[in-house]
Amino acid sequence: MSVLDRKLRRELFAHVWLLAAIAGIVLVGVACFVAMGTAYNNLTRAKTDYYRQCRMADFSIELKKAPRVDLRAVAELPGVTEIRPRIQFYATVDLEAAPEPLNALVLSMPDRREAVINDIVLRRGAYFSPGRGNEVIVNEAFAEAHGLAPGDWVKLLLNNRSQELYVVGTAISAEFVYMLSPGTIMPDAEHFGVFFLKESYAEDVFDFDGAANQVLGRLAPGTAVSTEEILDRAELLLADCGVFTTTPLADQLSNKYLSEEIEGLQTFAVFMPVVFLTVAALVLNVLLTRLAEQQRTIVGTLKALGYSDWQVFLHFLKFGLAVGLAGGLAGCGLGYLLAEWMTWVYRFFFVFPALENHFYPGRMLAALAISLGCALLGSLRGTRAVLRLQPAEAMRPAPPKRGGRILLEQVAFFWRRLGVGWRMVFRSLARSRVRSIAGVFAAAMGAAVMTSGFMMVEATYFLVDFQFKWLVRSDIELTFKDERGPDALLEAARLPAVARAEPLLNVACTFEHGHLRHEGGITGLAADAALTVPRDAHARPIRIPTSGLAMTRILAQILDLEPGDRVTVRPTKGLRQPRQVPVVEIADSYLGAAIYTDIEYLSRLIGEEYALTGVQLKVEPDPAARAELNRHLKQLPAIQGVADRRTMIQSLEDTIVLNMKVFIFVLVVFAGVIFFGSILNSSLVSLAERRREVATLRTLGYGPWQIGGLLLRESLLLSFFGTLLGLPLGYYLTVAMAASYESELMRFPVILSAATPATTALLALAFTVTAYLFVQRSIHRMDWLAALQASE
Amino acid sequence: MKGQPIFRLESVDRVFQMGEVAVRAIEGVSLEIFEGELLVMVGPSGSGKSTILNIIGGLDKATAGRVFFGDRELTSFTAAELTRYRRDTVGFIFQFYNLVPNLTARENVMVSTEISRQPMDVDEALRLVQLEERFDHFPSQMSGGEQQRVAIARALAKNPAILLCDEPTGALDFTTGKRVLRLLVDLKTRLGKTIVLITHNGAIAQVADRVIRLRSGQVVEVRENARPLPPEEVTW
Ligand SMILES: Nc1ncnc2c1ncn2[C@@H]1O[C@H](COP(=O)(O)OP(=O)(O)O)[C@@H](O)[C@H]1O
Ligand SMILES: [Mg+2]
Repeated sequence: MSVLDRKLRRELFAHVWLLAAIAGIVLVGVACFVAMGTAYNNLTRAKTDYYRQCRMADFSIELKKAPRVDLRAVAELPGVTEIRPRIQFYATVDLEAAPEPLNALVLSMPDRREAVINDIVLRRGAYFSPGRGNEVIVNEAFAEAHGLAPGDWVKLLLNNRSQELYVVGTAISAEFVYMLSPGTIMPDAEHFGVFFLKESYAEDVFDFDGAANQVLGRLAPGTAVSTEEILDRAELLLADCGVFTTTPLADQLSNKYLSEEIEGLQTFAVFMPVVFLTVAALVLNVLLTRLAEQQRTIVGTLKALGYSDWQVFLHFLKFGLAVGLAGGLAGCGLGYLLAEWMTWVYRFFFVFPALENHFYPGRMLAALAISLGCALLGSLRGTRAVLRLQPAEAMRPAPPKRGGRILLEQVAFFWRRLGVGWRMVFRSLARSRVRSIAGVFAAAMGAAVMTSGFMMVEATYFLVDFQFKWLVRSDIELTFKDERGPDALLEAARLPAVARAEPLLNVACTFEHGHLRHEGGITGLAADAALTVPRDAHARPIRIPTSGLAMTRILAQILDLEPGDRVTVRPTKGLRQPRQVPVVEIADSYLGAAIYTDIEYLSRLIGEEYALTGVQLKVEPDPAARAELNRHLKQLPAIQGVADRRTMIQSLEDTIVLNMKVFIFVLVVFAGVIFFGSILNSSLVSLAERRREVATLRTLGYGPWQIGGLLLRESLLLSFFGTLLGLPLGYYLTVAMAASYESELMRFPVILSAATPATTALLALAFTVTAYLFVQRSIHRMDWLAALQASE
Repeated sequence: MKGQPIFRLESVDRVFQMGEVAVRAIEGVSLEIFEGELLVMVGPSGSGKSTILNIIGGLDKATAGRVFFGDRELTSFTAAELTRYRRDTVGFIFQFYNLVPNLTARENVMVSTEISRQPMDVDEALRLVQLEERFDHFPSQMSGGEQQRVAIARALAKNPAILLCDEPTGALDFTTGKRVLRLLVDLKTRLGKTIVLITHNGAIAQVADRVIRLRSGQVVEVRENARPLPPEEVTW
């Protein structure tokens, strides 16, 4: 180690706390980059592997019923390499141990094991045996939730008949990485299962001899024809088979959630590090400028001794690089651990054969390069001064700092009122402009991070409240297999424990406005509906239009519609007659994108008198009565699905509360690191620059606390202005983020209550004072007599 | 016993541009410095002594005129050549020692040996300035005289032919100052170094082989000192 490196090492140790504080900012930035990047890589990798392993379909076509031979034409389309017809039905499961009926999706699989499209990965047991027909493979999460194992029997209501099925194995599939049952928003393994049946058996039970109601297909990689185009052609080709929907992989529900999460990670993996590393670079800049100034004479001497400019430059640069390297290395470590945690959390939401945290050397190297680059940028300005300094010049005392009046002094009436302490504070801030700007910037970023974080927390709670307390207020939602008449409503109302029953009519349709197109659905509600109450942005109820649609804001945007416009609606069932329908209201929704109208109006749109596809129930809270209801529901063959909202809300709230607590903690720590590092740095630099002044004040009888008070006032001013800027910045950041995250699946509300700015400001104050206490310690320890005598 | 001239200055000017005003630090300075001599430049503060020394030492550039080092023209050296020149040829000693505060005496000397082509042994350099017991002390633990001796050791350790001393006794008390002078005289006689020493203290000129007197940036007198006094006999 050269002597200059020894000098460097000692200087690093002498300022270890300050440097650790700055390295902490780098650390947080790098940790964010590594954690989110690694989680991104983990998910992408798991997804790619899993999709390849299961031969994930590139598209699916849902239809009423078609002979398999007719479906072969799809495979002939250019770009399509392979297809697989499949039978799929929704059903209910009746488990002895479960009080309520559970929802099931039933899918056919080949009788003998083949590498088919949307294959399964067996987790326990074996594939179907050649002998028995009524064998079933259950999706793993459902089996685990109910203690089902190979060798058990389950009872499924298939095609209105109760069927006993023998469980041969449990499995997972790439189709259900994020497993949502229709109409829910959170995976709920306990209440929704996927059941894979033998193809021959499924054909039998559903009367689907040689027929299927779904086509899965794969495309040649890099096909010139777009998936949409291929699907349009397939739809034409199968026009006679009654196509309901065509779904490209991009719109497949599980894939969509997964992909959006992955994309979001990528955005954050860039955004957060940029904020933190910019602050770190600015803070380093302040420190190194000071260091270079302080070591003027040493710089000159080294040059006089024959060190080249480059050698001296490098020596100072190493100071900053050491900070960057320390922060970078620690950040890689912490980031890896955070990625471990994130991946662990993801395992609750996403089901993969293996979702593991991996070490990505490339990402770590990039992280180190970024942290060193940031340190380099931060160090450059201060260190460049070293280069410019001529040795002869360096030997002469530094020219005195700019003195004179500051701008504020021209506001005479204000200035005259200030005590001498405040005048010193303002002058000091005005004269070290770069330092003050860096301080304000750091505080602004810290405050912005907190503000937008708190807003996200508020938004999440608002969203849950909006969805489950205001918009949907029923306890149970029943979905029928087929459209039913008004008698179904009366029947439901007569079920035990039901306090109120309201009809629901869900119609899948294609919306067209000009060249814009969207596949979605319309929900018909009773005119006096109280169990689903469409709301506007302020959560105020809106009138259910008796003719025309209450369109969700997000779809109105997608289709470029305003109240008064007309939209072409083409139902995918029934007569499929396109109709021009007016948009009369805009409703707000954060989860999903429902469109509401009067049920009678909607019935007429599809050419019916009065149809419903489901009912919503308000149920008496008495547990015995509920149990009675569940018993009844289990025996109703006409029911396709049962959604129990209470369990849904409970599991949602549990997950959210836990996640939010961790999120807030991490966020506050991160923001604290910014505040702390930047204030410590700016105060200590200010103190070092003014050693003489401080020493003089001491001889005049100022105590250490009075001197500390001056620095505290400086810090408070910086934090105050920073926070003032950071609050709106955080607000607009959240608005931008909400906009970028917006999709038909989910929209983030922008909520600003008084609590957010108040908490942000209080925390900013707390961080500032904490940092000040460290500064105060340095003042107490300062050898001011030596400072008075020093030649500097 | 006059050797070869190793430095020759020909009508050297140095003008500092301070915003609007131009400060003429030195004007038309011509002089020679001979190998193996102890040359003292005296003049009041602000007379341009440091400026001349800095130009000779390759720390500063003349605005006009030419400076020769042997038969090479110093004034036309590139930045890299100047660095080499400072590294290998001259050793600087400053009024305020300019030691690196967080390096020990030995380490301060190493600062110069590490970049030198043919350095002296560090301990030997420190012994030459009689600082054996102070090897591992930091500057703040040493007196001014001791610090200046470390600075001299640092300059010596590179084995330069020429020592340039800018008011080396300026910050020292009388006796310590004389010890430092003695050391410099010894270095000249024992190691044959050429020594250029500048001072505003006229008395110190008595130890010189030759004296150049400056006033307001100009040479006003060049005088051979037939009988240099030993430092011990000088008083101020
Ligand atoms: N870097 C500089 N910038 C401006 N003026 C300078 C600079 N260096 C020296 N001077 C001026 O040049 C003159 C000579 O300075 P200097 O050589 O240091 O004198 P001495 O060493 O004899 O005291 C002085 O008036 C001084 O103010
Ligand atoms: Mg001088």
